[in-house]
Amino acid sequence: MNRRVVITACSAITPIGYRREDIIDSLRAGRSGVRPLRDDGLLSGHIHSRVFGTVDYPIDYAFKRVHRKTMGPVAYYACQVAGDVLAQSGLAEEFITSGRLGVAFGSTHGSPTVQREIYKTFFGDLDNKFSSIGAVDYLRSMVHTTAVNITRMFGITGRVIASSTACTTSSQAIGFGYEMIKFGMQDAMICGGADEYDTTTVAVFDNLLACSVAYNDTPHRTPRPFDAARDGLVVGEGGGAVLLEEYESAKRRGAPILAEVIGFACNNNGGDLILPNLDGITATLRLSLEDAGISADQVDVVSAHATATKMGDVIEAQAIAGVYGDGPLVTGLKSYMGHTMGTCGVIELTLLLYMMEQGFVAPTLNLEQIDPRCDMIRHALTVIEQPIGIGAVQNFAFGGVNTSLIVRHADKDAT
Amino acid sequence: MTREELQERILSILEHDFEFEAPGLTDNLRDDHGFDSIDAIELLGKIETMLGFTLSREEKEQAMSIRTINDILDYIEQIRSARQS
Repeated sequence: MNRRVVITACSAITPIGYRREDIIDSLRAGRSGVRPLRDDGLLSGHIHSRVFGTVDYPIDYAFKRVHRKTMGPVAYYACQVAGDVLAQSGLAEEFITSGRLGVAFGSTHGSPTVQREIYKTFFGDLDNKFSSIGAVDYLRSMVHTTAVNITRMFGITGRVIASSTACTTSSQAIGFGYEMIKFGMQDAMICGGADEYDTTTVAVFDNLLACSVAYNDTPHRTPRPFDAARDGLVVGEGGGAVLLEEYESAKRRGAPILAEVIGFACNNNGGDLILPNLDGITATLRLSLEDAGISADQVDVVSAHATATKMGDVIEAQAIAGVYGDGPLVTGLKSYMGHTMGTCGVIELTLLLYMMEQGFVAPTLNLEQIDPRCDMIRHALTVIEQPIGIGAVQNFAFGGVNTSLIVRHADKDAT
Repeated sequence: MTREELQERILSILEHDFEFEAPGLTDNLRDDHGFDSIDAIELLGKIETMLGFTLSREEKEQAMSIRTINDILDYIEQIRSARQS
């Protein structure tokens, strides 16, 4: 069995907006969602990087307590965007609960906010006579909390894949969801990821000297992917979901088809868990093109992982040049909002879908002077009005995990 | 604490912490208010804080047969009485 898979809905909560129109406006206007790092009363004062990709607008959650009680902040993001894609899709209730719809959704490490509360209890910060670990604390904090809170809220009984591979969490979720449908295991999948405000992640990258520190007074000027003056990544928060469906059934029910997923690859560098690896990344990009059955010159846009670390961007530019040459436009969308960790793949795919629909490519923000070591590819430097037939989203994670997703515009049907 | 005072405390907890709407003393906790086993464990924690002592494993297991708010009140009174005797 080898079925076609289409995207019929998408939604993202990002530092540059939640509503589709707000996100498109931000991309067109070059508006950054990076803000001063907010105080967490614990670590923030010790971190050198004072910037964060921040969701700073109110979200009108309408969750009942019966659902809220097992949700930490990360599951709020997850359930909100999952509800959005189900509502957009118009899928019937009986299908949603049929077992033919599954969930592939993850986060970097569940809910650090709830975990921090648990540690406070452990270390006696609270009343130690009667307090204990609450019955729901595990459900709210566990690493698969996003996926199963989605199943609980919407009565979904199909497969659950709770990927948790740091920066490739949601791109893996989308890829694995695509394979579930392609090979006939499920007929539809809600795929994505979420990560909440968390200073632990910032501290980890800060200690590795990988965080941006030179733009603390001008947060909107960082991160600066591929720029000569880049000085590291900026951690961010958010959530995103896409609904994948088997093409024939989506077409039969008249679902809005945003794009087709035509290729996916995921591999591992098989060695170092931190350093970017040219051979590993190159292999992933080539494998995804093979899976899609297309040649590199058919790809119009590459959404680069582009975290703005000193070495990561250089290795990625080399990999893109090696596989794609200087044909496709390359944009680094983290430049608008920082690195939303487990969410970045699904957010970057959602932004690509918006750009596909609108027919434009957003430039890499803050890319003012291209690092000569990254200058062999075709960077998007201004808003470019052009149709996007095929786009690629590539992401790489700690642990040596690489992913590449390839999607085709709904109107570019190959058959 | 009298039964009336206890009832007032429990109703307050159920309304504020568990978001019960118009709780009745004989309502079925699960069917009428969606109160489940997770809620039961949370409520026992609040009862421990209110009583000022930790419930034993056996005492907690007794609570699993509770179905109504009246059952909660009976349960607390029985625990208090057993501890005092």
